[in-house]
Amino acid sequence: MQGMSVIVKKVTQLIAGIIFLYGIYIIIHGHLTPGGGFAGGALIAGSFILLILAFGSDILKLKQEETGSSITENIAILMVLLIAVMGLLFGAKVFFINYLPVGTAGKLISAGVIPLYNIFIGIEVAAAILTIFLALVIFKEESTK
Amino acid sequence: MTVYILCFILFLVGLYGLITRRNLIKIVISLCIMEFSIFLMLALIGYIDSGIAPIIRPDTIGQTYVDPLPQAMVLTAIVIGLATTALLLAIAIRLYGKYGTFDIREINNLRG
Repeated sequence: MQGMSVIVKKVTQLIAGIIFLYGIYIIIHGHLTPGGGFAGGALIAGSFILLILAFGSDILKLKQEETGSSITENIAILMVLLIAVMGLLFGAKVFFINYLPVGTAGKLISAGVIPLYNIFIGIEVAAAILTIFLALVIFKEESTK
Repeated sequence: MTVYILCFILFLVGLYGLITRRNLIKIVISLCIMEFSIFLMLALIGYIDSGIAPIIRPDTIGQTYVDPLPQAMVLTAIVIGLATTALLLAIAIRLYGKYGTFDIREINNLRG
């Protein structure tokens, strides 16, 4: 797919980084404010999709990107499962238990393992939405060739 | 009560688009509008007037929270809606590759 005009490219350069940072903010404040892993991951995937739509890319590069995002998604969901299984080893030996120190409520570093779950679910959702988008683009390029 | 009626009107807008449009992409958009009217209704069921976000912190204890259960259900429903939309778009792209058009009147090779 080819890119868009120079106005779209310039505006995308200006705002894509801000959207990415806002997604990271939503993810790491997931246990304090509304939002969390899914909403922040969708925002991060949106910044990548904006860049690909504005600048375009050839199909070989898109296939490499799809492989990378698919592997990232699998590793992230494996890390979530690993953190959950770690609960079987520490403390009360219950699946999905909160085994880290809880800290004071309202602080950024608190709530035990919940921020870790938020971070890995955010990576997983971002990679999954990007994989769906890239798969649809590759599908379209191949079927209309 | 008015907000539920407005949700129903939004649902009817999606239904109207679903049964009158001929373009596959517009049909998918109409389905999304129907989906999100249902999400809006479910989120409004849990809404309490002057309630705050249901996150328990030391400075918000004792205040009224909105109901978090419909919100969790709507979050699950949004994920499922994302998956179904991706599936519908994949089918639409495959049909476009086979017939060269999105018009459902032209896609009639399954007839007979």
